[in-house]
Amino acid sequence: MKRIIIADDSATARMFIRRCLEIIGLGDAEIVEAEHGKEALAAAKEKPTDLLLTDLNMPVMDGETLVKWVKSSPKLCDLPIVVITSAGNPAKEAQLLELGAHQVINKPVSPPVMLAALEQFIKE
Amino acid sequence: MIKHKPLYQAMKDAVSQTLENMVFMEVTEHYDQSYEIPAEELTWAYLVIQDPVQAEVRLALPKTLLEDLTTTVFSLEAEEITQAQMDDILHELLNTITGLFMTRLLEDNQTYKIGLPERGEGELPEVDADSIAWKLMTSDEAPLQIFVAGASLVALSDSAE
Repeated sequence: MKRIIIADDSATARMFIRRCLEIIGLGDAEIVEAEHGKEALAAAKEKPTDLLLTDLNMPVMDGETLVKWVKSSPKLCDLPIVVITSAGNPAKEAQLLELGAHQVINKPVSPPVMLAALEQFIKE
Repeated sequence: MIKHKPLYQAMKDAVSQTLENMVFMEVTEHYDQSYEIPAEELTWAYLVIQDPVQAEVRLALPKTLLEDLTTTVFSLEAEEITQAQMDDILHELLNTITGLFMTRLLEDNQTYKIGLPERGEGELPEVDADSIAWKLMTSDEAPLQIFVAGASLVALSDSAE
C-alpha cells in the first residue's frame, strides 16, 4: 500500500486533495495529513513514504522550506514532492523545480490535473 | 515598474475559476452595486499581499451563504458544521482567489508573496480611493464581495485598463 503525506494548513484543501486522490484511483493509499511543513517532515521521517503533496503558504514551516529540508536529507531526498499551491506562477514553478520538487500544480486542484501530475507515480 | 495584465479581468477570472472549481458556483456582477451586506449577516476574511505590491484582499459574504458552502463542501448537515470549518472554507477560498489573481495579474517571470488568511472582525473597512470593490452575486442572488485595498496595487488598475 502506498503512503502519501498531504501537507496543507487548510482542512478544506486537504479534503479536496484527498477526494482527488480517491477519484484517480489512490483511495486505498495510506493518507497522512499534516497542517504544516514541520509536521509533514516528522511524518516522512517516521515511516517510508511514497509521495509528499504540499502547499506552499503554511504557518510554522512553509512548503518551500519543507522541499529544501527533504531534498537535503540523505534519508528523504528521493521522496517525490508535488507542490499544490495558489501562489504559483511560471517563475515560482521554476524555482521550486530547481529546489527538487517534481511537479507544481495550481489550486484549485481538480482530478484531471492531479491525474496528469501523478500518472507516472500511479503506474509505478 | 511592474509589468502586469488588466487588474479587473485578473480578479474576475480568479473569482470565477475558484468558485466554479471549489464550490460549483457561478457568480455574476450584483445588479445593485450600492448593496451592502447587513452587519449582522456579514462574515469576512482578509489576506495581505506582501510583494511585489503591498495590499490587502478581503472576501465578504453572508453567514448563511458560508453555511451553505460548508455543508456542500464537507457533505454535512447544517447542524453538524462547526465555526472552524466555516472559517477554513472562507480562508481557502480567499487564499485561492488571491493566488490566482496575482498569477493572472503579473507577468510570468514575476514572483509574488502573499500572507496567510485571517478572519475579519467587526465591520468591513471603508472603501476609499485606494480600494476597489467587486460586488457579485450567486445564481440564487446571494451577495459575495471582494475588495482590494492598497495604493500600489490599485494604481495598477489605471496603467493597463
